Amino acid sequence: MQPHELSLAEAADAIRARRLSPVELVDSVLGRVEEAEPHLGAYVTVAAEQARRAAAEAEHEVAQGCYRGPLHGIPMALKDLIDVSGMPTTASSRVRAGHRATADSAVAARLGAAGAILLGKTHTHEFAFGLTTPQTRNAWDPGRVAGGSSGGSAVAVASGTATFALGTDTGGSIRVPAALNGVVGLKPTYGLVPRHGVTSLSWSLDHVGPITRTVEDAALVLTALAGHDPRDPASLSAPAADYRPGPATDLTGLRVGLPRTYYFDHVHPQVEAAVRSAVAQLEALGAQLVEVDIPMTRYIQATQWGLMVPEAGSYHEGSLRTVPERYQEDVRILLEASELMSAGDYLRAQRARTLMRAEWARMLERVDVIAAPTVPMPAVRADEQTVTWPDGTTESVSDAYVRLCAPANITGVPALTVPVGHDAAGMPIGLQLLGRPLDEPTLLRVGHAYQQTRPGPRGHTVRSRVSSPSP
Amino acid sequence: MSAVELTPAEAARWAARAGLVLPAERHAAVAAVADHIHRVVAVLRELDLADVPPAAAYRAGQEEHDAAA
Repeated sequence: MQPHELSLAEAADAIRARRLSPVELVDSVLGRVEEAEPHLGAYVTVAAEQARRAAAEAEHEVAQGCYRGPLHGIPMALKDLIDVSGMPTTASSRVRAGHRATADSAVAARLGAAGAILLGKTHTHEFAFGLTTPQTRNAWDPGRVAGGSSGGSAVAVASGTATFALGTDTGGSIRVPAALNGVVGLKPTYGLVPRHGVTSLSWSLDHVGPITRTVEDAALVLTALAGHDPRDPASLSAPAADYRPGPATDLTGLRVGLPRTYYFDHVHPQVEAAVRSAVAQLEALGAQLVEVDIPMTRYIQATQWGLMVPEAGSYHEGSLRTVPERYQEDVRILLEASELMSAGDYLRAQRARTLMRAEWARMLERVDVIAAPTVPMPAVRADEQTVTWPDGTTESVSDAYVRLCAPANITGVPALTVPVGHDAAGMPIGLQLLGRPLDEPTLLRVGHAYQQTRPGPRGHTVRSRVSSPSP
Repeated sequence: MSAVELTPAEAARWAARAGLVLPAERHAAVAAVADHIHRVVAVLRELDLADVPPAAAYRAGQEEHDAAA
C-alpha cells in the first residue's frame, strides 16, 4: 500500500511510530495529485512547495520528540471557501478575482496548530450555491457529477489526492459529494465548529466539517476543529472533547430510528436496498430498530428555501450590483430572484424552523440515531438535469440531492454519511446517520462499528479507475 | 399565469425597489425563478404559527419552545 492510500489514522500511527515521515507521505500524495488531478479537476490551487516545506518542518518536530497529535504531518485540502492567510479564497468564482485572505479562518488555524499540512484549495460549486460542482469529475466515473457543493474536497479524499479535507454544508454540501464519491462526511451540530473566516452561503444553515475515508478519521479531525470561537455568533461553548470512537462494535441498547415516512420516498431501489442492508447490520450488532415518523415533511423544502435564498441574496447584495456578469448564470439568477422575496416569507421560514426543531427533539427522545439514505440516487451523469421517479414525478437533480440532507441543516442536528455499497453501475451509496444535538460521539460510534464489521473498498477501486480513465 | 405570478415588468420593478437594476433581457427569467421560489415557500402559510418566535439565532442543543403546528 502506498502512503497516499493510508487512512488518516493509519498514517498518524505510522508517523508517531516513525515508520513513515511526513515528507514521504506528502511526496506520495503530491505524486498522486500529479497522476490523478488532470482527470479530476478537484483542486483550484495546489501549494506543493509550501506543503513540502511544512512536511520537512513536521518531520523535524517529530524527530525531536515534539509530536502534536494524530494530525501532525497529515496532508489535507480545504474547500476554497475557507480562508488561509496569504492565499486567495476564490469560492470557485470570477467574482473573487484578486482576492487574498489576510488571516486564517478559525478551522485553518486549528488544523495548522494540530500539525496538519495544507496541500491546496478544492473546488466548490460557485459560492456553494449548487449541488454538482461542474468543474470537478466524480472520482468513480468522470462522466458523472462530483456532487456538491464540496465536490473538490470529496473527490480529493476519494481519489487519494488528500488524506482528508474540509467541506461546508448548508443543504447537504458535505454529505452529498461524500456519498456520491464513496467517502465519509460529517456535518456537525450547528455551532460546534466555528465558521469564522469561511465564506457564507446562508448564516443560519452553514456548517463546516470533515470529509474522510473512515469514520474514525472524521472523529480525529472533529477533535481538532470543535470548540468555541466568539467570532462566530452561532458558536457553542461545548467543552473540548476527544471524539475518537472506541474499538467496541457491540450496539446492544442502541435505538436506531427507521423512518416510515420521507426518507425512503422517491429513493432509487438500489439505494434503499443498500441502506436497509446496512441497517440490518446495525441490528445484527445489537441495535434495536424503532420505526419513526418524520415530522413536518411537507414543510422541509419550503423552510430550507425560505431561509437559504434570502440569506444568500443578502450576502451577495453588493457584488450582485457591481459585478453581476462575473457570476455563473445558475447562481446569478437565484440571487436576483432572491431580491423579490418578502421579509414575511423569510420570517415564516424561521418560525417554521422553530417548530421543526421542537418536533425533531421530541422524535429524538425515542431513538438514539436515525438511519436513512444520504441521497435518493447515486451520482447522475453530468448532463442530467432532472430525475423522473416511477410514479411519474419529476424532480431537479439539485432538489433531489438536497431533499434528504436539508432536515439536519434546518434543525442543526449532527449528520454523518458512511459508504455502504454500490449500485449496479458501481457508483457509491451512502447511509446517513442523524443524532441529537452534540451527540456526535454516538453517531461516530455507530458509524465506526459499521465500518469495522463491514469494511468497504475505501477508495482502492477509485484509484485504479482514475489511473486509467475510460475514453 | 395566475393572478399572483409576476410579469417580467413587475419583476423588474420589484427588483428596482430593492435597488437592483435588471437588464431588460433578464426580466422574464427572473420573474419565472421568483415565481418558482414563491410557490415553494408559500406552503408555509398553511402553518398556524401562533406565538412561535423565529429561530434566527438559536442554540441547537437547547429546547425552549412548546408551540404546536
